[in-house]
Amino acid sequence: VKLPAPPSMVSTEQRQHAEHIFLSFRKSKSPFAICKHILETSKVDYVLFQAATAIMEAVVREWILLEKTSIESLRTFLLTYVLQRPNLQKYVREQILLAVAVIVKRGSLDKSINCKSIFHEVGQLISSGNPTSGIQSVCLLVGASLCLSFLCFYASAFHSIFSFHPPVLPAPQEEDLRQIFVLTMEVLQEFSRRENLNAQMSSVFQRYLALANQVLSWNFLPPNHILSFSKSAQNVTLKPTESWREALLDTRVMDLFFTVHRKIREDSDMAQDSLQCLAQLASMHGPIFPDESAQVSYLAHLVEGLLSMINGIEIEDSEAVGIANIISNLITMFPRSILTALPSDLFTSFINCLTLLTCSFGRSAALEEVLDKDDMVYMEAYDKLLESWLTLVQDEEHFPRGCFVQPAVQVFNSYIQCHLAAPDGTRNLSVSGIATHDEEEINELQEDDRELFSDQLSSVGMLGRVAADHLLTFRTQQQLMASSDPGSVDRKVLDDLYEDIHWLILVSGYLLADDPQGETPLIPSEVMEFSIKHSTEVDINTTLQILGSPGEKASSIPGCNRTDSVIRLLSAVLRTSEVESRATRASLTQLLSPQMGKDIVWFLRRWAKTYLLMDEKLYEQISIPLSTAFGPDTEGAQWIVGYLLEKVINNLSVWSSEPDLANDTVELLVTLVEKRERANIVVQCENWWNLAKQFASRSPPLHLLSRSVQRTLMKALVLGGFAHMDLDAKQQYWAEVLHPLQQRFLNLINQENFAQISQEEAVKQEIVATLEALCGIAEATQIDNVASLFSFLMDFLSSCIGLMEVYSNTPETINLIIEVFVEVAHKQICYLGETKSMKLYEACLTLLQVYSKNNLGRKRSDATAEEDQYQDLLLIMELLTNLLSKEFIDFSDTDEVFRGQEQGTPASSRTVSAADVVLYGVNIVLPLMSQDLLKFPSLCNQYYKLITFICEIFPEKIPQLPEDLFKSLMFSLELGMTSMSSEISQLCLEALSPLAEQCAKNQEKDTPLFIATRHFLKLVFDMLVLQKHNTEMTVAAGEALYTLVCLHQAEYSELVESLLSSQRDAVIYQRLADAFNKLTASSTPPAMDRKQKVAFLKSLEEFVANVGGLLCVK
Amino acid sequence: MADEFDFQTGESGASSTYPMQCSALRKNGFVVLKGRPCKIVEMSTSKTGKHGHAKVNLVGIDIFTNKKYEDMCPSTHNMDVPAIKRSEYQLVNINDGYMCLMDEHGEIREDLPVPNNDIGKDIEAKFEASEDFMVTVLSAMGEECAVGLKAMASK
Repeated sequence: VKLPAPPSMVSTEQRQHAEHIFLSFRKSKSPFAICKHILETSKVDYVLFQAATAIMEAVVREWILLEKTSIESLRTFLLTYVLQRPNLQKYVREQILLAVAVIVKRGSLDKSINCKSIFHEVGQLISSGNPTSGIQSVCLLVGASLCLSFLCFYASAFHSIFSFHPPVLPAPQEEDLRQIFVLTMEVLQEFSRRENLNAQMSSVFQRYLALANQVLSWNFLPPNHILSFSKSAQNVTLKPTESWREALLDTRVMDLFFTVHRKIREDSDMAQDSLQCLAQLASMHGPIFPDESAQVSYLAHLVEGLLSMINGIEIEDSEAVGIANIISNLITMFPRSILTALPSDLFTSFINCLTLLTCSFGRSAALEEVLDKDDMVYMEAYDKLLESWLTLVQDEEHFPRGCFVQPAVQVFNSYIQCHLAAPDGTRNLSVSGIATHDEEEINELQEDDRELFSDQLSSVGMLGRVAADHLLTFRTQQQLMASSDPGSVDRKVLDDLYEDIHWLILVSGYLLADDPQGETPLIPSEVMEFSIKHSTEVDINTTLQILGSPGEKASSIPGCNRTDSVIRLLSAVLRTSEVESRATRASLTQLLSPQMGKDIVWFLRRWAKTYLLMDEKLYEQISIPLSTAFGPDTEGAQWIVGYLLEKVINNLSVWSSEPDLANDTVELLVTLVEKRERANIVVQCENWWNLAKQFASRSPPLHLLSRSVQRTLMKALVLGGFAHMDLDAKQQYWAEVLHPLQQRFLNLINQENFAQISQEEAVKQEIVATLEALCGIAEATQIDNVASLFSFLMDFLSSCIGLMEVYSNTPETINLIIEVFVEVAHKQICYLGETKSMKLYEACLTLLQVYSKNNLGRKRSDATAEEDQYQDLLLIMELLTNLLSKEFIDFSDTDEVFRGQEQGTPASSRTVSAADVVLYGVNIVLPLMSQDLLKFPSLCNQYYKLITFICEIFPEKIPQLPEDLFKSLMFSLELGMTSMSSEISQLCLEALSPLAEQCAKNQEKDTPLFIATRHFLKLVFDMLVLQKHNTEMTVAAGEALYTLVCLHQAEYSELVESLLSSQRDAVIYQRLADAFNKLTASSTPPAMDRKQKVAFLKSLEEFVANVGGLLCVK
Repeated sequence: MADEFDFQTGESGASSTYPMQCSALRKNGFVVLKGRPCKIVEMSTSKTGKHGHAKVNLVGIDIFTNKKYEDMCPSTHNMDVPAIKRSEYQLVNINDGYMCLMDEHGEIREDLPVPNNDIGKDIEAKFEASEDFMVTVLSAMGEECAVGLKAMASK
């Protein structure tokens, strides 16, 4: 064996050769004797390390071949070896201890090693040894390592040998855990008494602290503890059983952790563990508490300890998150009744401390942002604390009345202060107090603040509502009004101003309204109550005057203080918006901030969803000022709709160059028309009609907008058309909006020389604009308009197929045409009844046929040829998936939505199902799908999703496929199973079971499908037994294997026989044979029965664990 | 926009490029970068500072040479967009490295060389094998090149 040597003495080849020797050595069979010999004689650390590794791997691999006694003696040998050599290199010792731990762990799997005796050993180890000698630290280390072996998996050790994770290992008994905990406490106690720890001792200390953390992070919930333990120790809360009372309710335990933390808090690594232990103790709940009073006194003790810890120190950066965790855990886990049962001065001190801490973390977090630190510890801690506030405030009714108002004011104000520039705030002030200003490049992938900080903003908004009394009246709105006067043109000053306004608008938005996805947003009750409470002091006329005059200074209106504050906050944003609009009219657009523009329309959209035309039936009580200003049938509502519309139109014409802002703007427009009540008012505005006409004429400035914005604008215009109008108005509206589109299109394509002029730029643009508009129209589909939109779109779809021919050599147009079909199918298929669906199926089929015809035999050399084809196929696949979705999402109620339109077509005429169309489509797509194209991950995914779908939903259609198609489908499955990512492989495995079940149902042998499944049996068998595979796949592969075995029992026996007969070693042969017998024991004869399948899957896990190792022995 | 164009006239007199506001460009569309007609393969926006105005970053591939070009400009600016035209011809003959192409009206042109790439080789091979096929010719900004072929359906 070559030894490691300085590079000067050995060549690279020699080194590689030596590495190779070690690697093959580790794989050799039963290397125990030689390893022992090496350990006893060699003095080279690296060789010792390799020997320990070889032992560890061999033991696991050959476990079922080894005698229990020889395993035991091996373990004793290793332990003694370490204990007798206190001066071993650290990494060698660790590796040997790992080997011991793995042996113990593997032993506990089949109960061949007795836990009790191990604990006895550990206890002796810990108490033995002279405290002053170096031996003690070794003993303690060994003890810790043994304890750890009960808690951890050593999955990595198993993994390197088997290439898969071990089956679920038995959880340590609670009794064992408690033993470990008690031992750990003893050691920690001992350490906490000592002065001056040397480096070695402090690393031992750290080991035990980590051990304590592991025990406290244990998930005591029954079945799946191991899984949850290994995945996210952080999220596990402490819920020990009654038997832990003595160990955990003793106040000395908690005190010990506080003491330990004080001792080591400057060591950031150890501090993390000690704080985590405390956080776990703060999360303690469940049967361990005999009664409420025990819980109260436990919490009181915890809070006292915490307060004295925090108050006595200057918090280190590394402590922030840990401390926030403790607080957040105790607020989340302890019932409100326990929190309120605390002595009231203790509770008050706690809340005060929390307030100060939150404000201070907030300031530090702001500083972190300025310094652009990578590791934002204060930000994380601040997030946690704000979240805790949210929890407290949501349960406000349980706490003494008003106890959170002052804290909320403080936290809210400090948040605002951190986000405003000097002199009102502290933003951008670095430590030295100098404002920094950077001009970093921001790309489009960066999230907007309103999403990035949405959690913080929701908490702060909520706190703001609690403190509504104080806040709504002054701060934000006054600052908003004060700041919205861009008198200066210094860009830097302006940017500071914009940043202030940016944050104020965001906070105001989160303060006034929520954004519940999918539900009707309600006015927050705090805001409603606030407005009601003050309505007697409010002069409604002045309030309306303030609202209706965004161009004037609010303070110039007499009596402006006697107005509703909620409305004043809105009017403050409207005033900002008005300043912005006027600046654009004065051609000052260059000086404005698009970000602020975005904030304004974002706010207005959020506000409009909640407040505009509120449904009074949804509220118990309603504020008169609010309902007078924005309620249904009010002038205020009409005025504001008009104002918002004007804002939208102005934005769309001046901000076409800002895609995000234009997008937010058009979304505001959609919000205005997507609800019938609002749309009814919108369509009464002359501006709306002007917008519609302007857009239909494709004249500037609207056609400068990006395509996606134009699409959404089309959607909004169509949605508006379904508002309530009298018949004439409605006819006129459609004549303005949709008919021009149709007319222009028809005029164009019906020209005799259309084919010749089709490549002219103007013609191409007209076509593209039409197709884009069609996508927008499809997007506007709702259940109550699908009938008319479908008919309108269907006319276009057949013309589109003609376009496919004309533009067969123009990939960008082809792509867009397919997209129209995708959109229509996506938005409408679920509402369509049989006859309508059939029409759409047919159109899609024709599209695919034409596409296929045009592309067969076509070759292109341009750089984007492959990319173009990739995009086409992706869209086609999407189209097929959309069509297929009809089979499981179907809202059509036997053409309910089309009633009256359609003369009763007999249902029996149903001849084409989604499956037929999709399979036909696949038939067209398959010849175009090359292995090269499958290298595009998204295309590959979509393709396999589609074929798995088909196999799962229509297994009965598979045997009827044309031969070629059937063959390519089976080839695709095989390819996906064997040479694609594990995700794809899993999809393919999932497709196999339904196919095998289909075969079994038909009971026809020698069909192509029957033969194909036989082939798959071998593939899956090899995959599970012989090849390396991912654990996640074991279940999917196991299910597939089981159904395949049921179908082909004889072939399965042959496979097993031939595998066995290739084994020369008699012992291995026997173990293998046993393993196979055991595998099928519970399911003989195999039958497609759920119960048996589950039993099979269970024995498969064990089988893979045992056999995986055996077959690796070379 | 409709009024700016007259669908009735033939192809003569068409400008080889036309301006478009940056923000209205789109991926898979075309743009002139460094004086060359390019297909846009990547398009993204960015801004300088949170309150800055949008800039558009474009990556394009020269439709004739396959060379990659990049450009960035304020999104309010106009960029030139090349007028792209694709025509199909039947290949009649290859003469001295030049293709003899016939359009749908039976008119013959012989000014385009067989391109020096895979498609060129395919064209020659199919011609040798006396197969019937169409050649796609791409033209933009006064340049023309054969970029694809399509076997004729057996009629």
